[in-house]
Amino acid sequence: MAGRRAALKAVDWAAFAERVPPNQRAMFNALKTRNDALTARLAALPEKPPAIDWAFYKANVAKAGMVDEFQKKFSALKVPEPVDTQTAKIDAQEKETAKSTAEYIQASKARIAQYEQELQKLKSMIPFEQMTYEDLSEAFPETKLNKEKYPYWPHKSIADL
Amino acid sequence: MLSRLVLRAAPAALRALPPPVAVGVLHTTRTLHTTQQSLAPVPPLPEKGGEVRHGLIPEEFFQFLYPKTGVTGPYMLGTGLLLYLLSKEIYVVNHETAAAACILTVIVYAIKKFGPDVAAFADKLNEEKMATALAMKNEAVQSLQTAIEDEKKEQWRAEGRSYLFDAKRNNVAMLLEANYRERLLMVYNEVKKRLDYQVAMQTLKRQKEQDHMIQWVERNVVQSITPQQQKESIAKCILDLKALSKSAHAVV
Repeated sequence: MAGRRAALKAVDWAAFAERVPPNQRAMFNALKTRNDALTARLAALPEKPPAIDWAFYKANVAKAGMVDEFQKKFSALKVPEPVDTQTAKIDAQEKETAKSTAEYIQASKARIAQYEQELQKLKSMIPFEQMTYEDLSEAFPETKLNKEKYPYWPHKSIADL
Repeated sequence: MLSRLVLRAAPAALRALPPPVAVGVLHTTRTLHTTQQSLAPVPPLPEKGGEVRHGLIPEEFFQFLYPKTGVTGPYMLGTGLLLYLLSKEIYVVNHETAAAACILTVIVYAIKKFGPDVAAFADKLNEEKMATALAMKNEAVQSLQTAIEDEKKEQWRAEGRSYLFDAKRNNVAMLLEANYRERLLMVYNEVKKRLDYQVAMQTLKRQKEQDHMIQWVERNVVQSITPQQQKESIAKCILDLKALSKSAHAVV
């Protein structure tokens, strides 16, 4: 089971900060401040509380058996460890984001392929000086004049002139 | 008669016409539709048309006659033809000739004078259109490239999500650990407080007892001093003081 000593993974904040997009800066800063606050709090607390000097108390406390009783109860006492409810959620979140990220990257790659294709088309175009209007309509279909819809010159709606 | 000779020689000469050949400054004539395949992409049309002399006669004619008649051949032919047409009245000079001469003079003069400017203006118009089109194309290329860059960057960013989750888990672990330590510390503090309380109570009690004891003893002692004893002790004190003062005088 995940014991107390769940090792803290070193997070490279510099590299992390590089990858944060500008619109999520605020969230990142909040996370970082939280992390820093927790680290400071943890560092301020000693790992083990200091040991109680039973001999001194046994010598000084007059009430019979009180110190012994305390000592017995103290050593028998087991402080419950706080239950970890969030790590499972975080793992689930991570899996989900892994999936959505994969999808996003897929879509992104498709977009890149599309852009590359258009780029290729533009780059392999014949120079404008050697084009005819027909060639232009082929290369840029949006400039093609619709002669069926507008049979009379200028073959497009007057508003588009 | 000479004319008939020329007229008869013409077809023979034409049959002997060599295929068009690139000569010096002349532009190559395009060999179209000579092969089965069509050229793709179609080679661009030449910028300028074939060269002409005097705006009418193509240069090829002069080159064609050069081997046989030299440089002046075509001119001689031209002059001879003209004189023949005039003298034989095959071309009749009438009022239309005068009109044609005047009109042609004016036209040629106008073209020679204003031609280049008009051509430059037309070229500029075309240039502007080309420039806009080219600018648009460059812009499109640029934007596509930046788009590709941005997509790649976003992909790289998305890869950094492991940092986020590590940080979150760290936070949770730290919180738990801090909580546990706080609890331990609390237990220790509470127990210590109780034990210290007991010790402090005891010491206080002892102190109070001691103080009370001392006070009681003092009180009793003061009470036990009778008036007689008081007088005696005062007289003794005075004697002691006198003795002391004597010794003090002596020292001084």
